[in-house]
Amino acid sequence: MKITWKVWLLIIILVLSLISIFSIPPKFLEKGVVVKSVDKDSSSFSQGMRQGDIIIAVNNIRVENLEDYTQRINEAFDKNIGEERKLILNTKQSEYILFISQPPEITVSNIPSTTLNTGLDLQGGARALVKAQGKSLSNNEIQDLISITRNRLDTYGLKDISIKLVSDLQGENYMLIEIAGATPSELTELIEDQGKFEAKIGEEIVFIGGERDVSHVCRDDATCARIESCFPNQEGYSCRFSFHVSLSESAAKKHAEATSKLEINSTNPEYLTKKLDLYLDDEVFTSLFISKDLQGKETTQISVQGSGSGQTEQEALSNSKDEMNKLQTVLITGSLPYKLEIVKLDTSSPLLGEKFTQTILLAAIAAIVAVSIIIFIRYRKIKPSLLLLFTSLSEIVIILGLASLINWNLDLPSIAGIIAVIGTGVDQQIVILDESNINKVESMKQRIKRALFIVFAAFFTTLASLIPLYWAGAGLLKGFAVTTIIGITSAVLITRPAFADIIKSIGE
Amino acid sequence: MTEENTEQTNKKFDYNKTYKLLLIIPAVLLLLSLIYLFVFYQKNNDIIRKDISLSGGTVVTLNTEKDIEEAKELIFQELEDFSIRKISNLRTGEQIALVIESPLGVEETKQAIESALDLKITENNSSIEFTGPSLGAAFYKQLLYGIIIAFSLMGIVVFFVFGDNLKLKIIISILTLLPIILFWFGAINLNVAMVFNIIILLFSSFIYIKTSLPSFAVILSAFADITMSLALVNILGIKLSAAGIIAFLMLIGYSVDTDIMLTSRAIKSRDKKLNKRILSAFKTGMTMTITSIVAVLVALFFTRTFSSVLSQIFTILIIGLSFDLLNTWLTNSGIIKWYCDKKGIE
Repeated sequence: MKITWKVWLLIIILVLSLISIFSIPPKFLEKGVVVKSVDKDSSSFSQGMRQGDIIIAVNNIRVENLEDYTQRINEAFDKNIGEERKLILNTKQSEYILFISQPPEITVSNIPSTTLNTGLDLQGGARALVKAQGKSLSNNEIQDLISITRNRLDTYGLKDISIKLVSDLQGENYMLIEIAGATPSELTELIEDQGKFEAKIGEEIVFIGGERDVSHVCRDDATCARIESCFPNQEGYSCRFSFHVSLSESAAKKHAEATSKLEINSTNPEYLTKKLDLYLDDEVFTSLFISKDLQGKETTQISVQGSGSGQTEQEALSNSKDEMNKLQTVLITGSLPYKLEIVKLDTSSPLLGEKFTQTILLAAIAAIVAVSIIIFIRYRKIKPSLLLLFTSLSEIVIILGLASLINWNLDLPSIAGIIAVIGTGVDQQIVILDESNINKVESMKQRIKRALFIVFAAFFTTLASLIPLYWAGAGLLKGFAVTTIIGITSAVLITRPAFADIIKSIGE
Repeated sequence: MTEENTEQTNKKFDYNKTYKLLLIIPAVLLLLSLIYLFVFYQKNNDIIRKDISLSGGTVVTLNTEKDIEEAKELIFQELEDFSIRKISNLRTGEQIALVIESPLGVEETKQAIESALDLKITENNSSIEFTGPSLGAAFYKQLLYGIIIAFSLMGIVVFFVFGDNLKLKIIISILTLLPIILFWFGAINLNVAMVFNIIILLFSSFIYIKTSLPSFAVILSAFADITMSLALVNILGIKLSAAGIIAFLMLIGYSVDTDIMLTSRAIKSRDKKLNKRILSAFKTGMTMTITSIVAVLVALFFTRTFSSVLSQIFTILIIGLSFDLLNTWLTNSGIIKWYCDKKGIE
C-alpha cells in the first residue's frame, strides 16, 4: 500500500490531536492532586499557591491521588486540634511551608486524565442568562455590566466562574454566567442581589457609587474600617460598623448644593433637618445625620455607618462584616442603573452528569460498532470495514483534539454535533467506497474525483445549513454548530481525502 | 421500503413505465401532510407543539424513588398545569429521577413540588432548568428563521452544483443574501427578513423548476422530508424543544447527501444505462441511510430514558431518515428519470 501525503497528513493531525487531548507527558500518567481553588485570605494564598498548582507531596510523603492527599492531611491534623503546626506542601514547582492550626484552605481534586473541558450540563453547576429588565443593552453597556458583575463576584470570593457576552440573531445582548458547583438559588441570589445603591438627601441623589462618584473606599484597614461595638438587643445581638469613604469632587459639589438648601434642625441643633439616606436595593439601609458644620461645604470625606444583627454575638459580628463588605463593594463598583432579569436558568447536579458521560460514551461506541457490522455485511470485505471504523474514530479524535486546543466546553449540544458528524461521515465514506467500485470503465482517479465532488457538494450544503445556528437563541446551541462545523470541515479536508487515497491504493 | 427494493431489482419490473406512477405515492403523502399541518395550524395557531424551552417555564429533574403515579396525584393538588415523566437506569430499570415540567417560574414550581411531595429540593437531589416566556418566543422565531436561511442556502449550493446558468446563480445568491445582510446590520427586523426570504425562496424554486429540474428535485425532497416528519411528529404528540428543531436542520444535511449522490450519478456520468446508474445509486444510498438509521436507533436505545434532549433529536432523525428513503427513491429519482428521458440522457 502506498502512503500518500494525504495519508501522512492524516497521521500527523491524528498524533497532534492525541497530544492536544492527553498533553505531553500524558496527563493520565501524572501523579498528585491539582489545586482547584485557594482561599484568598489563607496563608497558602499569601505564600503564593494558586489554582492549577499540582501538589505531589504532603510533609515530604508522596501523594498520588485525592485519597492519598485526604489521608495525609487527616493524619497531620487529627491530633491536638486547634494547635498551630508545620505543614509542608510540595508542588511541582516549589515547596510551601505553612504554620497553621486547621487544614489548608484549598480545594483539590484528582488530576483529570485529559485536557478536555466538559460543559456545565455534564459537570454540574448553574448557568443563567441575564438581561436588563425592560431594556435592550448596547454592546458597551453589557461590557460594563460584565466587568461590574465580575468585580462583585470576585469580591464575594467565588471560584470557577465564567461570565461572557452572548448575543442572539436579533442582536439582543445577554450576559451568560456559569458557576461550576453552584446551586441555582445561590446564583439567582447573586444576580438579583445586584445592590442598586443611591445616597439621597431628601429626593435628591447625591452619589451612586462607582469610580465617578467615589474615589476611595476604605476596606481591610482597621484604622478606617471596623466593627465598632456589639451589644445585646431584643432579637439577640447587634454590631455596628463604620468605614471611611472619599467622594470625588463632583459628588462633593452635589453634596454641597443639596445641603445648602437645608435648615438647622430645631430639636437637635448640632445637625441639619434632613439626613443623608443610603438606599440599597431601593430600601433605606442607613441614615446619616449631617453635621451643621458641613452645610454647603464641598466635603470629600464621609463616614458610613451601619449594623448587622444575629441571635448570637458571633452571628451578629459575621453578619455585620458581610453587610459592610457588601456596601463597600457596591460603593466601589457602582450600582447598575437598571434591574437584572434572569431569562434562562439551567442547573444540573454533578451526580446526573457523571452517569450521563458514561451513557453517552456507551451509546457512541455501540453506534459505531453497529455501523461497522452493517458495512461488513454489505461489502463482505474486512479491510474497507476496518478502514471505515478507523476513519470514523479518527474523526472523533480530531474533533476532540481541536475542542481541547480552543478550550471548547463540550456540552450536550456539542455531543449531538459529534454524532451528526459521524453520521454524515459514514455516509460519505460509503459514497467513496461505492464510487470506487462501480464504473470500471473510467480510471480509478476519475472515479475518486467524482466521489470527492459529491462529498464536497454535500459538505457545502451542510455547512450552509449550520451557519444560522451559530447565533440563533443567544448562542446556547453554539456547541452543536461549532463541533459540527469543526468536524465536517476537518473531515472533508483531511480524513475523507486520506480515506479515498487508501481505498484507491487498495483498489489498484 | 423492502418492497420497493425487490421491485427495482426484479428484471421484469420496468422502471421506464412505472416511475411516473410511483411519483403519486410521495405526492399524495406530501399533500396529506400539508393539509394536516394546515388544519393543525388552524387549531393550535402554530405548526408545532412547543415544550418549555420554547414556550417558557420550569423543568425540575428530581432524583427520587417516589412512585410516579403517586407523585402525579400529589402534585396535582398544588399545580394545575404540569407534566411528569420518569428516568430510569438502562440496565436495572430502576427509577433514577422524576422530571416535572410546569409553565410557572422556578420558585413557584419548586415550592409546589416541595409541599406536594413533602421534601426539600436541593442541588444534590435535583437539577433545574428555567426559560423565560419572552426568551422562548424569541428563540423559536430565530430558529425558524435559521431553518429558512439554511434551506435557502442549501438550494443555492445545489443550484451551483447542478445548474448551468451562471447569471441566474449570481442573481439568486444576491437576492437570498440581501435580506440576511440587511437584517444583520439592523436595517430590517426579523419578521420582515423572514417574509422576504420566504418570497425569494419561492421565487428561486420557480427558477429551479424552469432552468434546473435536478436542483429542484433535491430541494423538493428535502422539503418533503421535513414536512412529512413534522406532520408525523405532531400526530405522535411530541412537544418540540429547541434541540428538536436542530434535528430538522440535521435532517437537511442527511437528506441532501443521498440526493446529491443520486443526481450526480444520474446526470454527470455516462458509463452505463441510466436505469443501471440509478440502481447503483440506490444500492449506495440504501446503505448510507440504513447505516444512519441503525446508528441513531442504537444511540436512541442508550439515551432514551436519560436525556430528553438527545432522545428527541434521535427520534426525529429516525422519522426523517425513513421518509428520506421514500423521498429520495420515489420523488427524487422519479423526477431525475423524467428529466433524463426528456433531455435524452441515457
